[in-house]
Amino acid sequence: MTKPMALQIKNLSKHFSLSQGELTVLKNVDLTVQPGEFISIVGASGCGKSTLLRLIGGLEQVSEGQILFGDTVIQKPGLDRGMVFQEARLYPWFTVEENILFGCRNNLADAEKQQLVHDHIKLVGLSGFEKAYPHQLSGGMQQRTAIARALVSRPQVLLLDEPFGALDALTRIQMQQEILRIWQEEKITVILVTHDIDEAVFLGDRVLVMSNRPGTFKKTLSVPLARPRDRNSSAFLALRKKIYDEFFSKKKTGDRP
Amino acid sequence: MTSTPPLKPKHPFSFYLLPFILPILLITVWQLASNLDWLKPSILPSPLVIAQTLLDLLKSGELVQNISVSLLRVLEGFAMGAGLGLIVGFAMGLSNPMERSLTLITGLLRPIPTIAWIPALILWMGIGESSKVTVIAVGSFWPVLLSAIQGVHSTDPKYLEVARILEKDRVTLLTKVIIPSALPSIFTGLRVGMGIAWASVVGAELIAASSGIGFMIMYAREVSQPDVMLVGVAAIGLTGLLIDFLLLQLQRRLLKWNSAWAGES
Repeated sequence: MTKPMALQIKNLSKHFSLSQGELTVLKNVDLTVQPGEFISIVGASGCGKSTLLRLIGGLEQVSEGQILFGDTVIQKPGLDRGMVFQEARLYPWFTVEENILFGCRNNLADAEKQQLVHDHIKLVGLSGFEKAYPHQLSGGMQQRTAIARALVSRPQVLLLDEPFGALDALTRIQMQQEILRIWQEEKITVILVTHDIDEAVFLGDRVLVMSNRPGTFKKTLSVPLARPRDRNSSAFLALRKKIYDEFFSKKKTGDRP
Repeated sequence: MTSTPPLKPKHPFSFYLLPFILPILLITVWQLASNLDWLKPSILPSPLVIAQTLLDLLKSGELVQNISVSLLRVLEGFAMGAGLGLIVGFAMGLSNPMERSLTLITGLLRPIPTIAWIPALILWMGIGESSKVTVIAVGSFWPVLLSAIQGVHSTDPKYLEVARILEKDRVTLLTKVIIPSALPSIFTGLRVGMGIAWASVVGAELIAASSGIGFMIMYAREVSQPDVMLVGVAAIGLTGLLIDFLLLQLQRRLLKWNSAWAGES
């Protein structure tokens, strides 16, 4: 494995050209993510947080500024950045095992791939479901498979785009604990995009609050709480309220999402 | 989706009986009408007479012989037409310039009914096997072509995006993502194409042939054997049904991942 690298976003802006003219989705975004850090980005829907993640993933091109991974400018997708979306996006014609195998680096020997697949099925707690097809799995299990597929190439960064947004409340909490365990075991960098304030505080080392149209970071909060975090502790609730007020404070009516 | 593998439903006996009731009823009425001399045997022989003729034709091997000849033509023509349909369909589905450059000519040729080609093909290729096989190839080409284009286009862009993130090369993209995505649509095209192939062979044989099931029907008309004629007609229906059944089985086997099939046995 290569030496862990920091991810740097420098003065980034992103415009989309629409028929009515240009739409600025992200403006002057700056962020440095240290290797091994867990970053939560919270924002209302349509604020550009998913676009930011797609830019880091290399699925979109930046308009201004740049994204550096180590010393290289990110221009296209790559196996060093694993990605999980809100929908699991599993291939329905592949079993759990085959879907994860598809995530392996192409240049490995078959035996090595098999071992990696086996390890990652275990990592996400899907042992016994290797031969199941996606339509036979629950939403949570589908998402576990997607996480394993994103991790099996041993990326340095895991990009999570509202990965638990489509799950029921109980499964979501369970998956949050799982992703924390996986993050601690794999020691990788995680960038999570979510609209769930509770989730952001529970998981992140830092929580970045994103404003709406154009999207930019208006506040960064570090979460100095030891893990596992108690969602009902006063410190947790205080942080949660602070972020909540960023969106729904009565004073700043002009900045409502 | 919290879907568990659905239980295979156990059907009552009547479920299996249901498709047979109407045909049996019709045949009974037909037989009764014949017994009462309401139907002229030279126009419409009774079901019992037809059944007897069927047995005779089976015993003499004439029926099997003629069906095999037609079936062989169908398989040759279908392999050619469907194969070409898949190749051109994938080329058009995958490449915009290719689709653009072929769209006018395919649009012009497609509405022409297959049998309209028969006289021209006989003129160009004679009345031998090649003109018949070509008619079948033309007939089965179109539905397979359209289903292949449609299948390639229906590939979910989200699946393609995942493959991009995973740095897959073009061959892997085609074989592991696009082809499986296109397969359900392609199977529909293959089944329609096979139906047209089977219809085309009979059409071609009715016009010019010295063997095959279409020839058997035409010859029976000329020598006034309505029972042989009707056995031929029934044999076409049965063979077509059997072919479609086999294709359906193949489809279920290949597409067992498709949740749309999960509940069916």
